[in-house]
Amino acid sequence: MCQKHSEIAQNPSHFEGSTDELKTSNEIQSYYTEYIKGMKFFDPHIHMTSRTTDDYTALIDAGVVAIIEPAFWLGQPRTGLSSFKDYFSSLVGWERFRSSQFGIKHYCTIGLNSREANNEALAEEVMEILPVFIYKEGVVGVGEIGFDDQTPAEEKYYRLQLELAKEANIPVQVHTPHRDKKKGTELSISIALEHALDPGMVIIDHNNEETVEGVLEKGFWAAFTIYPFTKMGNERMVEIVKKYGSERIMVNSAADWGISDPLAVPKTAALMKIKGISDEDIRLVTYQNAITAFAQSGQINVADFETPMIIDQSLKFNGNTVLRGGQIPRIEKDSIIIS
Amino acid sequence: MNYSSLLLDKIQSQASSKEISWVEMKDKGSLQSLQTAFVTVPRFISKDKIQFTSPINEVSFDNWTLDRLVRVYLLTKFDSSDKSSYTKAIDTLFDTAENNEAVALISALPFLAYPDYWILRATNAVRSNIGPVFDAIAFENPFARNHFSDLAWNQLVLKCIFNDKPINKIEGLAERANQELATSISNLAHERWSAGRTIPSQAWRLVSQFMNDEIFKDIQHLLSFGNESDRMAAALVCTETDFPEAKKALVSNEDLQLKIANKVFNWQKIEN
Repeated sequence: MCQKHSEIAQNPSHFEGSTDELKTSNEIQSYYTEYIKGMKFFDPHIHMTSRTTDDYTALIDAGVVAIIEPAFWLGQPRTGLSSFKDYFSSLVGWERFRSSQFGIKHYCTIGLNSREANNEALAEEVMEILPVFIYKEGVVGVGEIGFDDQTPAEEKYYRLQLELAKEANIPVQVHTPHRDKKKGTELSISIALEHALDPGMVIIDHNNEETVEGVLEKGFWAAFTIYPFTKMGNERMVEIVKKYGSERIMVNSAADWGISDPLAVPKTAALMKIKGISDEDIRLVTYQNAITAFAQSGQINVADFETPMIIDQSLKFNGNTVLRGGQIPRIEKDSIIIS
Repeated sequence: MNYSSLLLDKIQSQASSKEISWVEMKDKGSLQSLQTAFVTVPRFISKDKIQFTSPINEVSFDNWTLDRLVRVYLLTKFDSSDKSSYTKAIDTLFDTAENNEAVALISALPFLAYPDYWILRATNAVRSNIGPVFDAIAFENPFARNHFSDLAWNQLVLKCIFNDKPINKIEGLAERANQELATSISNLAHERWSAGRTIPSQAWRLVSQFMNDEIFKDIQHLLSFGNESDRMAAALVCTETDFPEAKKALVSNEDLQLKIANKVFNWQKIEN
């Protein structure tokens, strides 16, 4: 988070459009959805276990029809194998069901995250149960794995999981570190190549202006996380698409328990639209490329979210029929009356 | 009794030759290879709806997909001669189950060996808020009727009513009706009425044999204030019960009595 406001003044936002574009983008704040009417979005990185039902409602309203939830850490280290097992199991169980209640198709990637790879005793146990989960329905890859502090333990489990993904023939979703990102990204790429992974099966995540070229050059997918303060802003993202086009580039929110924005993908699409990027490029970057990359798992059937949601009356819980009549029950957020 | 061959017949009548050969290749494996096969079923077997089936072991297969049927069949092929390794293998599947796997596991309970061992899995399915998992134990599955205590049974039925689900699809609904459940339904109705809400009309079919002064007040309430289907339910209860006051109430509601006599009213009409 940027806490030095003086620095903001010295380093204005990376908005590099024309004066006209700046004016438009300032004016459309309150009705950006007008620019993306009828568009569908696929957010290939979002941690819904950390989000509320309000977010699910907002996602489907904004056109996000399918999502991928990568396995990651919980904000604090787990202390035993059962916590991992229950978490993985919730990604293919409760969270998947919860998402379906809002008409959003939920996929996940399963893996041992980089931070917790440093607890080697536990990491060994986690490696043993991973094969049970990565072959399950709707598991579209091994992820998010890779480097955080770039320790030998992180490297060891990154390599082991690359082999696992190769054997299962499913994509890999690679987290790149916050600190020393460029070196970490290059290292992730070279290790993947060393293990003879097809770059077309590897999605390198959390890219920025410094890393994108190397990733694309080597034939990998380049994912960009639009996340306030610490990762990419969407104005910078627009510039990247202007410069590099839409091939093998995708956008995600990585929304989690931190200050993040689950609507990052539709908002970025709106900004791209305003700034003159073609509808086809927007579609590729905010929808199709993610599907193409992760459908290599054989676990994505686009009919599940491209055809209108079939209302299944068995899908209800707690007296709530979320999908009855195709309408999500709405809470009037500003009403003092709760009925 | 072993139902494997009946289930296999059913698979053979529905599946493609490629699918059948996959199943026949996998069904003779060790516990561990059957476990893996169970998980990987959707990679080799379609999700086509099963057509024109007759029940096996009182399981009716309504709206089942082929992958679910194959998973249940594979579970019947687990070698149960050693209880500990058998239950351990299936417990592992339960503990790591994805939603469709969980549905198949719960659907398979009537086919598993050592039924008493699986009761906690079954009651946990009743506790589940994942709709399809709950439905797999509640509907068209004889396991609950055959093995649940009254307490567990009543929870199952009440949760169905509470969640507006069709109790008519519960196996053994009429034969396991009991006084405790009738009283709970009455209490639930009171709570709902206080909140200006209702319960599904067909729930009242479970009170006919357990009528008392308290519950009769509810029936009178339905006759006076209920909507059309509530009044139909109340009239049907009055017909079914031996409770004398109920018979009198029916006489004073001639329109309803006539409809019952003419068989205009029946429970099927108000199933939700």
